[in-house]
Amino acid sequence: MSFGSPYTTLPDFEYHKPTTLDEVLRLLKEYGDDAKLMGGGVGLIAFMKERLMSPAHVIDVKEVKELKLLDNTTGRGLSIGAAVTLSQLLEGGVLKEDYTVLHEALSKVADPMIRRRATLVGNLCEAIPWVDSPPALIALDASVAIAGHDGRRSVPVSGFIRGPVDIDLGPSEVVTSVDIPQTKGANSAFEKFTGGSEFSLASVAVMVSNGGRNRRARVVYGSVNSMPIRSAEVEEAIKDGITPGSVRKAADLASEKIECVDDVLATAAYRKHLLKVITTKVLRRMMSQ
Amino acid sequence: MREITVTVNGRARKRMIKDNELLLDFLRERLEVRSVKAACWRGECGLCTVMLEGHLVKSCLVLAVEADGREVRTVEGITNDGDLAPIQKAFVNHGAAQCGFCTPAWVLATHELLRVNPHPSDADLVEATSGLVCRCGTYNQIREAVAEVSAASKVRRQPKENLARA
Repeated sequence: MSFGSPYTTLPDFEYHKPTTLDEVLRLLKEYGDDAKLMGGGVGLIAFMKERLMSPAHVIDVKEVKELKLLDNTTGRGLSIGAAVTLSQLLEGGVLKEDYTVLHEALSKVADPMIRRRATLVGNLCEAIPWVDSPPALIALDASVAIAGHDGRRSVPVSGFIRGPVDIDLGPSEVVTSVDIPQTKGANSAFEKFTGGSEFSLASVAVMVSNGGRNRRARVVYGSVNSMPIRSAEVEEAIKDGITPGSVRKAADLASEKIECVDDVLATAAYRKHLLKVITTKVLRRMMSQ
Repeated sequence: MREITVTVNGRARKRMIKDNELLLDFLRERLEVRSVKAACWRGECGLCTVMLEGHLVKSCLVLAVEADGREVRTVEGITNDGDLAPIQKAFVNHGAAQCGFCTPAWVLATHELLRVNPHPSDADLVEATSGLVCRCGTYNQIREAVAEVSAASKVRRQPKENLARA
């Protein structure tokens, strides 16, 4: 019998399945701190099994009409509703051309069966340091749209993640979408090293916009510290072009300047070595594109 | 407790459940569908894989209540005439089951892969089954079984460039 053994059952909770955003906000007002929002559930269910979370109420947002939207209107960028799954994003091909860095990051998340359930917003809201979507979203300058009783607000992803498993979201608020500005003509890519485990030991997301004289680069590292880290030094090194020389310089700077942590997965020294490897790898690939 | 109705392999099944019950437990314990295996309980091994509304999912990461009013298919439901599906025959031919514990999940996943993509490349197979584990290590035999079904398929093999566009 599986019932009753540790790590296999879930704590008691009441399940709610609202279909409109108003209903979600009403449920959050009523249950607030005692409630957890559920997208695909792959994170929440795992956390509940480990008793890291024991909400009295689970609010499933999968069938909320407003949150299922995936808006790719030309000129306005891409808006990804909170109920949109990773499979939808990958199979629909919406990311492939203009948001390559996110496409590459998501296509390596877990496996196809998990991606069928997992949502991008759920992945982001976990704010686990080794999750791959935040660096890619920060490289794309994405922001998070939030709805609450006092109205709506928007925060950049870089500010939304406040620390490990800590996000800028009140108990009666809900993330409605992740919005990515138009990046036509930009060159972007993602690289990570897992060493065969399920977790990234180091990841890098790069975007270079081809705005003539206004060339800008955004380089974000993940999985090496408690939060994604942007590197102004590496960005400066590749701003004027990705060449064999600038790649070498960028890789050295990444290894030198980015602060890494020692933990059970890897030592800081090993992570610093990996930064050099993945920076070289991602930039060489972008150079040949 | 609440009552849910789930159509499992074409048959509507009505049961009382608790909100915190997993689809995995609902299938194994309440309906006694034992081909759905419970092993890691955390979405890593893939042995509890079922089809929910036509898509492969890991049932240890799905609430039973989420399947209310929906359709679930397990390995028992991949053929409706009681005969073995081509991939099942190929598993037998190639000895692609050793201890057999993971076999239902692998059969279901490879059956679905071949339905969507009758001529999967090695990379397609590895990607499609990357969420499944076989601790006996029958991966090579599974690869041979998939190749056999692919070779026998009447669907014409498409040139590579067409596949890339599809």
